[in-house]
Amino acid sequence: MATCTVSPLLAENVGTGCGENAYKCYQCKRCTSGCPVAQYAGMHPATIMRAVQLGQLDMVFDDKFIWLCTGCETCTTRCPQGIDIAAIMDELKIIARREGRIPAGTPSAAMLKLNYDSFVRWGRMWEVELIARDVLKRPKSAMQWLSLGPKMMLKGKINPTLQKGDTLAMKRMVQTAESITSAKMRRQADAGGES
Amino acid sequence: MSKTLAYYPGCSLHGTSGELDASFRASARALDLALLEIPGWECCGNTAAHSINRLLATALPVNELAKVEQDMRLDAVAVPCAACYSRFKTGAHDVEDPETAADVRAVVGRAYDGGVTVQNLVDVYHDAVGLEELAAKVTRPFSGLKIACYYGCLLTRPPKVTLAEDPEYPTHMDDVVKAIGCEPIDWNYKTDCCGASLALTEQGIVDDLVTRILNDAKACGVDAVAVACPLCQVNLDGRQSEILRKRSDWQTIPVIFLSQLVGRAIGLGEKELGLKKHLIDITAVMA
Repeated sequence: MATCTVSPLLAENVGTGCGENAYKCYQCKRCTSGCPVAQYAGMHPATIMRAVQLGQLDMVFDDKFIWLCTGCETCTTRCPQGIDIAAIMDELKIIARREGRIPAGTPSAAMLKLNYDSFVRWGRMWEVELIARDVLKRPKSAMQWLSLGPKMMLKGKINPTLQKGDTLAMKRMVQTAESITSAKMRRQADAGGES
Repeated sequence: MSKTLAYYPGCSLHGTSGELDASFRASARALDLALLEIPGWECCGNTAAHSINRLLATALPVNELAKVEQDMRLDAVAVPCAACYSRFKTGAHDVEDPETAADVRAVVGRAYDGGVTVQNLVDVYHDAVGLEELAAKVTRPFSGLKIACYYGCLLTRPPKVTLAEDPEYPTHMDDVVKAIGCEPIDWNYKTDCCGASLALTEQGIVDDLVTRILNDAKACGVDAVAVACPLCQVNLDGRQSEILRKRSDWQTIPVIFLSQLVGRAIGLGEKELGLKKHLIDITAVMA
């Protein structure tokens, strides 16, 4: 798969996806000061914003920062420019997944998809299924449940039974949402090709 | 005079946080609030949908709001899970944009006219019941139990969506615990993130965040932490039992749902409130 290091379209694509203008960022770093996970990756909210402005794809997508973002909304709340930075992190996750640019060592990326697939399948998210499928994919992750799992089970905090929502309605909504979204993507790609 | 609210439990309340569901229902009943569960409710899309399919993330909660407004004909919905609450508020906020509203309408199959108030756990006691009414129903007041009210992220953020007056230092949960005889304590980590769903994949980070939050609560001299979010509760409570394995000097602190505190103060029993479902014992402070 061919990837390019710099794309002047990155900020534009983020903007059309989530409606936020990354160019408004002037690097005051209030987002990073309040970010609970800034210290756990190479990048942090302010450097991500700069890299988006400069179209530095590798800086954004080779780092695990966006996959550690918890969506706590502190950056969005504090940005003096009113940029919804958390929405930009979401959009970068959407782009990364679409472009196949999820780096190794980011189990949260796979967990988000397991979660999505679970509620799409059943109408509701089934906690037990997420953990079971995660353990099948990453057998090592079973270790972390050896101590906590039985304790939670003893306290009756794990409900093993599947609870379904209105699965037909869910299926219809997912299909419609996905087809509207991909039609928009096609229109954007066509418009981009003409300009 | 009984008031009727639609009720959206969400997936966690039917899973790991059954005690939030039980204590919320029991306290509502005792406070003359009728809760009608939304029939055939779907997942709100949680953390996953908004980072995978933005339109679906908006449409799922709006579909529930349309059911409340047009099928149940109610004007308010109680959403005790802070994460679901955030998705409902965000959905309602996003369909104020006409272009988004048109797409969402295509997905949902009908328009939502914005006629439903979305209430989180704190709002239900603070606004739907009211502080005076709540205080009047108290039969077993706490005698000054020192409480750190932990709001976490999504009860107040982002303020453009929640319309929180003071998103960095909210006080409405403090008002509720005061009304039942507790003493809310000023502390520093009221609205810091607990790590949320990283508890499934990045436990080391969550343990750091939980340690920081609870150490501040302990330094401020509280007896317990009150929460209004199932994920905050499972992280602050459940991770402590893991932190204990790494640090034998760790002093545990009970992490209690606001609905359990309210329930205890209005005379409900241990079983109804699920007081024995916590990994770190809360029965001593709830006695």
